[in-house]
Amino acid sequence: MLADYLERGVLAGAIAGIAYGAYVALVANPLVGYMETRAEGGDHGHAGEHAHAAGEHAQAAGEHAHAVSEATTAAVSIGSGVLWGILLGGAFALAFYFLEPALPGRGRVKADVLAAAGFLTVSVAPWLVLPPTTPGAELAFDPTLRSAIYAGMMAVGAVVAAASIYGYGRLSPDNRLLGVGAAAVPIIALVAVTTIAAPTIVEAGTLSAELVTAFRGLTVLSQAALWALVAACFGWLQTRAGAQPAAERHDDLLTSP
Amino acid sequence: MTTTDTVHDRIGTARDDLTTAQLLAVFAFVAATAFALLFLQEPLAHDAMHNFRHAAGVICH
Repeated sequence: MLADYLERGVLAGAIAGIAYGAYVALVANPLVGYMETRAEGGDHGHAGEHAHAAGEHAQAAGEHAHAVSEATTAAVSIGSGVLWGILLGGAFALAFYFLEPALPGRGRVKADVLAAAGFLTVSVAPWLVLPPTTPGAELAFDPTLRSAIYAGMMAVGAVVAAASIYGYGRLSPDNRLLGVGAAAVPIIALVAVTTIAAPTIVEAGTLSAELVTAFRGLTVLSQAALWALVAACFGWLQTRAGAQPAAERHDDLLTSP
Repeated sequence: MTTTDTVHDRIGTARDDLTTAQLLAVFAFVAATAFALLFLQEPLAHDAMHNFRHAAGVICH
């Protein structure tokens, strides 16, 4: 049973990952390349020999920042996008197998709730302290400390998601509205505390504020879409395989003669 | 098929369904995957993922 869930999760992750890989290929690669050139251009300000210089400039910037060619970066980034989907899908399925009985809602709603909890844990909570970084951004602290902060905020996100689901489960049988309120409290508290207390680690640098906002919005939406797609594909595969949660099987037994 | 109702039951089912060898294989595989992720911090592979890391909002310069 666990293996069946994992199989469906990896398949759902592969489908979502291919879509995300396509996003990296069609949107993220050109966008990051453009922003990199802009960020470098802002530093030196040579608008003159544009068409010819841009290529060399970007390459010089590339050599400065990376050890590999742009084509390799583009290809590996696309592949990473696909693998990212598979990793999330597999982890999602394992978590779903064990947590399914504790998740609120029924059927596919459970998958959506877990995907939302996963998105909060893996991305949203860390981003409240370390927002998605645009090319040319200035970062405080050293990478090891930032990684530790990122991991720590993932743990905080998991606790907040669990508290939210627990609160809903406790109060919604009496009053659904109260349950929704209880679910919202930990999330609002997390956002409030990080907004007030978190230090500014990421400085956007020379790029325009609008471009940075657009890039961050795109990052948030694309990750949310990836989670939603994992949940939708997983739910579809579950239904197709005829796997029903215990409560629904019980209903079926009651209704069928 | 037994109806599984609680998280505890799910853990029990997994324990019954999977042999110790399978569990060891899964743990070893997860450990190897984690190792691979750390290994990818190795500059060449790490840099090649550059655009993806920006796009996914997971970055370390």
